[in-house]
Amino acid sequence: MAAPSAVGLGRRLRAWLPRMMPVRWSRYNPSYLEPEVKKESYQKPLEELTEEEREQMELKAVRPIKAAPPTLSSSVFSDPMISKFTNMMMKSGNKVLARSLMSQTLEAIKRKQLEKYHKAPENEKETIECNPYVIFHQALKNCQPIIGLSNITKGGKTYQVPVPLTDNRKRFLAMKWLITECRENKHRRTMMPEKLSQELLLAFNNEGPVIKKKHVLHKMAEANRAYAHFRWW
Amino acid sequence: MAAPAYPAWVTRWVSGQWRNKKRPPALRPPRPLALADKVANRREQPTEATCITEMSVMMACWKQNDFNDAPCAEEIRMFYDCVAKAEKERKNQNEDTLSSRGNLPSSKVNKLLRRFPQITRYV
Repeated sequence: MAAPSAVGLGRRLRAWLPRMMPVRWSRYNPSYLEPEVKKESYQKPLEELTEEEREQMELKAVRPIKAAPPTLSSSVFSDPMISKFTNMMMKSGNKVLARSLMSQTLEAIKRKQLEKYHKAPENEKETIECNPYVIFHQALKNCQPIIGLSNITKGGKTYQVPVPLTDNRKRFLAMKWLITECRENKHRRTMMPEKLSQELLLAFNNEGPVIKKKHVLHKMAEANRAYAHFRWW
Repeated sequence: MAAPAYPAWVTRWVSGQWRNKKRPPALRPPRPLALADKVANRREQPTEATCITEMSVMMACWKQNDFNDAPCAEEIRMFYDCVAKAEKERKNQNEDTLSSRGNLPSSKVNKLLRRFPQITRYV
């Protein structure tokens, strides 16, 4: 009689932990400010700052600051897009593996481009891009769809309506397409970095299956352009 | 002579009520004749879709150039500008001002009326 009630009480108390409930949103007080990670903003002398920057500095002296997340880095080598892509490639929290795959991909891109560079004749050497980061960014930009389709129900029927997409959604779709393409359509024995570097180079030149997927989406949007008036925003 | 007992209609006729068009009240209001503190619920018409012209221009360009993005850069830029503008306007519009059509939805009208109700009795 005493034992079951004690167990139940313990379980209920553990579930009701004040201020420790995990939620999806931020638990910070709204007065907390974001941390400033860029080194350049601290190296500026006091006179060069504008009015608002001075006010911002004074505010920072009084307000508490949020803890910097582990993905935020002040290094010159850190790139938010690459971090995002690495996170999307990560499986079961294995960030070490995802990061090594990403660095191997960039190395593979560099190697392929250098090979092309050394084989090319003199006049074409300038046109070959060797910086893997530039290739990565340009390839992602080429893969981003410009217009998307969304399901809108009207009169009992669901229509695919062409709809403008936000920047975040475009980036997400481009990365998702690349990763799914590389995971599914490769030979059993090809490594992910090799396949990814292949796809990135194709996307950089506006070729390849990911660009085709984007074109298919655009064609469907163009075919359904009559339904564009079903949107209400 | 004793007071003549005329029927009621004679007295009424003589007093000229009928000629003065005094009739029994035509309207017997079931509810008090005062404005209520709410409006009827009205289904709000959905606003129109934004940026349709830019989108159709861009799609025409796509059809001509086989869906390549490089030749259509100008149209795409215009489409993006229009979308950004529409998004900004949607964020900036205050809920308590009139909508783009000049209407207020019935829920907001009711909220305002509840703040300033009709005075039905004086104390």
